[in-house]
Order: sequence, then structure tokens, then C-alpha cells
Amino acid sequence: MQMGKLKALVPMVLVYVILLVIGLTVPGMWQPVVYFMFYVALGQAFNIFLGLTGYVDFGYVAFLGLGAYGMAIALQNFAHLGLVAIPIGIVLAVIMSVLLSMAVGAVALRLRGAYFAIATIGVNEGFRFLLVGTKLWGGSEGIVLSGFMRKAFGREIANYLSTFVSDLLLFLVAFLAALTTVVILNKKMGYALLALREDEDAARVMGINVTKYKIMAFITSAAFAGLIGAIAWTLKLTYVFPEDVFNIHYTVEAIVIVMLGGAGTLIGPMIGGLIYGVLKYYLSVIFPGVQLLILAPLLIVTIVAFPEGVAGYLIKKTRNSKLAEYLR
Amino acid sequence: MVGDHLVSNLFYGALLGSVYGVATMGLSMIFGVLRIVNVGHGSFVMVGAFTAFWLFTLYSIAPILSIPVALIFGIALGFVIFQAVMKKLVDAPELSTLLATFAIGVFIEETAKFIWGSDYVGFSWDIGTLYLGSITVPYTKILAFVASTIIAGLLYLWFTKTKLGKAIKAVVEDRDGAAVCGIDVNRIFTLSFALGIGVTVMSGVLVTLFVPVGINVYMGADYTLRAFVIAVLGGLGSPWGAFIAGFLFGLFENGSYTLLGMIPGVEPFALTRFVAFVFLLVILLVKPTGLFGGEE
Repeated sequence: MQMGKLKALVPMVLVYVILLVIGLTVPGMWQPVVYFMFYVALGQAFNIFLGLTGYVDFGYVAFLGLGAYGMAIALQNFAHLGLVAIPIGIVLAVIMSVLLSMAVGAVALRLRGAYFAIATIGVNEGFRFLLVGTKLWGGSEGIVLSGFMRKAFGREIANYLSTFVSDLLLFLVAFLAALTTVVILNKKMGYALLALREDEDAARVMGINVTKYKIMAFITSAAFAGLIGAIAWTLKLTYVFPEDVFNIHYTVEAIVIVMLGGAGTLIGPMIGGLIYGVLKYYLSVIFPGVQLLILAPLLIVTIVAFPEGVAGYLIKKTRNSKLAEYLR
Repeated sequence: MVGDHLVSNLFYGALLGSVYGVATMGLSMIFGVLRIVNVGHGSFVMVGAFTAFWLFTLYSIAPILSIPVALIFGIALGFVIFQAVMKKLVDAPELSTLLATFAIGVFIEETAKFIWGSDYVGFSWDIGTLYLGSITVPYTKILAFVASTIIAGLLYLWFTKTKLGKAIKAVVEDRDGAAVCGIDVNRIFTLSFALGIGVTVMSGVLVTLFVPVGINVYMGADYTLRAFVIAVLGGLGSPWGAFIAGFLFGLFENGSYTLLGMIPGVEPFALTRFVAFVFLLVILLVKPTGLFGGEE
């Protein structure tokens, strides 16, 4: 891969830095900025699978949920080792979501279109009901960690972890997901996935091992989801409830962000994540309680008017220019 | 003891299953004709439930009489939604239609919440109880069963005997072919979508006969997921398959609930749902066209 391709990340990093600076210097802006960043990270992570393959994983939140549980279990069992518990939690979160994605991928990726979407909803809901039904990992009562963390790390460090550290790690995860997207896009895998998205059967006939690349993208995307769940949910909120972490709304939000920004593009998820995060945050501040009532029609208008998302629309408008070249 | 319990639960399951069947027929119909998976399906069931609730509490209209009202209201609602949004998305990629139907579902739920609030409400329509040995069933549930069966039967007749019904079948078989034969495909799409939503809203009325105090603006999510399982079970796109699969699902849900309840230390209700989803995945893998579906 040419180093030149990495230049595509420069404007993105600039945006991250600007957001960080705003968050740190403007009073009261840190929480909103982190809130926007959560959606950027979610979009970047999901784009690796949905954007690049065109498959709609309607159960994507299962990977975030499992990652959240990975971190929770690690904190519950290894908090006595001190801060080592956090990296253990991160590793465990990734391992757990990757294992689930391998199982799901091997099975569900044989299906296409609506069948794939329904099967993946089944995985997410099935998993949630399994946890509640067998009372595994606390069942419907979930895992509450604030006491544990305060006892193990001390009050101040525990607070610091669930505020500043988890937020900064989220920035890092969003960046790493974008970096991974650039790398994939410029490798054989990226071209294979592009061919797959356009016409899976044709790609297969041309001798591309579509199954392999599909599963690779699926696992990569799931690993990032696990990271986000571990960092932005468990570490930040210090509790995990199955009803929350397997909530299908997050999957839909991820789809919305990717679509809003432009599926399969590098910059799309960031644009989509920012637009969505900003809209949702300020709508809930200005019109508490009815934000969804406003957001839903906006979404419908976007789907109908800009089916290719903001980045897709810009590419179309600025065809053959440098900007289009970059956005792609 | 357990045997009696199981028998009466299975009986209930069959009655409830017929309502599940009707609640899924609209989903299957819309998928069959337009190839659109309506992710906001459950919100239309909710609209039907509220229709019955309001007609009963405000005007003392028996739910069984609310059925045609709900059907007409649902058809109108479906027509408006199709003309305003779905028309432009008929040929759009899956992603767009999944998302659009989800957004429509959210919009309907939030509008309902704006109007009715988010509390659980309910009503009870009591017209006596039937005693059958160890089984006792309120007549309302039997009526719901009879109504479901009649609705399914009428739809079947409409599809097989009327010109319009046959035209829909032709569009399902081959869109382009049907268009060449002079069928106005766009009209068929509008009609199928509106009718699919109409049947779904109508099923919401029947649902209220089983959940006396379970009417809530967010009640739809459960029915969306159940409808997916049932629709796949019956072969996505086949309304008859959906009706029969609804029965099976009702029996399965109530039967497994009774059996799982005997295992100590588990929550049988949640586990029943887990088993249902495992079932769904197995069917998708072994025979994605459903138990009654033909080859794709």
C-alpha cells in the first residue's frame, strides 16, 4: 500500500483533534463531544462490514453487547489485580465478540438479503433471551460494577476511568476503525469486497474467494464493536443490563449513520456519525421526549432524497474532481 | 397434573396462534409482492390494538365489531404510507427499505406516544366462559379464533377467485411478465401494501382479546420479532404459510413455556423466546423457503 493513501486520514484526524480541543476547552462541551464520537465510532466500525459488503447485519448490536459483557466479566474477576483488569477486559471483549462473529458468520453468511437480516436479528434477540432465561451473567439483573471498581482502584481512579479514560479510548477506537478501513480499501480485500458488493455471483465466477473476504470483514467489524461495547458502555457506565446492550435500536442507529454518510466510503461514517449525533443530542435538549418523533421523518426524507448518503451525493456532484477522488 | 396443564396451555396456544397467523399474513403479503421486509410491522399491530381500545372505552363498541373499522383504517394508513414513501423505494436496495420501514415504525410509535402517552392500558370484554373438562376458555378468545380463521379464509378466496387477487399472484410470480400482460404493476403494489397493512392493523384488534392489560405504544416490537419467526417458518412471502405457521408457533410457544417452567432456576418465558429464535435459525439454514414454501 502506498503511503499516499494514508493521507486520506489527515482531514479526519484534524476533525478529531478539533473535537477534542472543543471538548476540553469549551465548558460543558466534553459530554456532547464524546456523545458524537460514540456515533462516529459506531459508524466507522459498522461500515467495515455493512459498507464494504452491502450485507445488512440487523443484529450488529450483539457484538457490542458481548464486548460489554467481556469487560464486565474481566472487571468482576480481575479487579483485585489492579488496573491490569482493564487491558484484560479489552482483550476478553474482543475475543468474545470475535468468537460470536465467527460462529454467526459461518452460519448466517450463507444467507443473503432479507434472510440474512432476519437471521442476524434472531442471533441478537436469541442471545439476549438466553442470558435472561438461564440467568447467566446476572440474567436480567445484569452486572453492576461501580462498587467493585471503587473498592479495587480507589474512588478517584475509578471515577477517572469511567469519565476521561473511557472517552479518550473511544476516540482511539474510532480512529483505528477508520485506519483499518483505509488499509482494507487499498488492499486486494477491498477490491474483492467491491466486486462482491456489486455482484456477488459474478465475483465468485471470476475466481474471487468471496466467502473468505466476507467473513474477514464481518469479524473485523465485530471486533471493533466489541471494543466500543467494552469502552463506551461497561467502562463508562459501570453497569451492563441485557435489555440495554442488546437493544436493536443501536443496530439501526449504526445503519442510519452509515447510510446517512455514504456506505463504503472512508469519510462517510464520520459525516453520518456527526450529523446523527449532533441532531439527536440537540433535539433531545431542545425538544425533550419528542426527539424521535422529529428524527424519524428526517430519516425517511434522507433515505428517499439521498439514497447514497452525503458522501455519495458529493461524489456524484463533483465527479472527476479531486474532492470526489478523495471522498471515494 | 402437568398433563392437564399442558393440554389446556396447548389449547390456548392454538387459539392465540391463529391470531399470530393473521398478524403475520400482512408481513408475508408485503414481502411476497414488493420484496420489502417491513421492520416496523409491530407498530401497525399496536395501532390496531389502540383502535379496539378506544372504540371500546369511548363508544362501548365490542372489539369484534372494531375489526372492519381497523381494516379500513389500516388500508387508508397503508395507502398513504405507500404513496408518500414506499413508492419511491420499491426498486431501492434492501438497506433503504429496511431502514425506511423501521423509521416509519418509529414515527408511528412516537406519534402514538404523543397522543396516548406511554402507560400500559387495557380493557376487558367479558361475554362468559366455556367450560370443557379441565379447560376453561373465555368466549372472547374463541371468537378471536373464529374471526382469524374467517379472515384467513376470505383472503384465500380473494386471492384465488378474484381477478385482482390473481393479478397479485401474477406479479409475485413475475413482475415483468405481469406488466407485459397488461397488469398495472404499480397499482398492484399500492393495493398489496395497503391491504397488508390493513390486515396487520386488523390483527391488532384480535390481539387485544389475549392481552387484556398489555396495550402500550411499544408493544409492537414483540410482534415484529414473532412475525419474523412465523413468516420465515411459513416461507417468507406466503400468507397461507404464515397462517399455518402462526398456529404452530402458538402451540410451540405455550407448550415449551409449560415444559421449560419445570426446569428449576430458569426463566421459562425468556427461554421460550430463545428456543424460538434457535428454531428460526435452524429453519433459515435448512430450508430458507420455510416449512411450506416451495423452491426459491
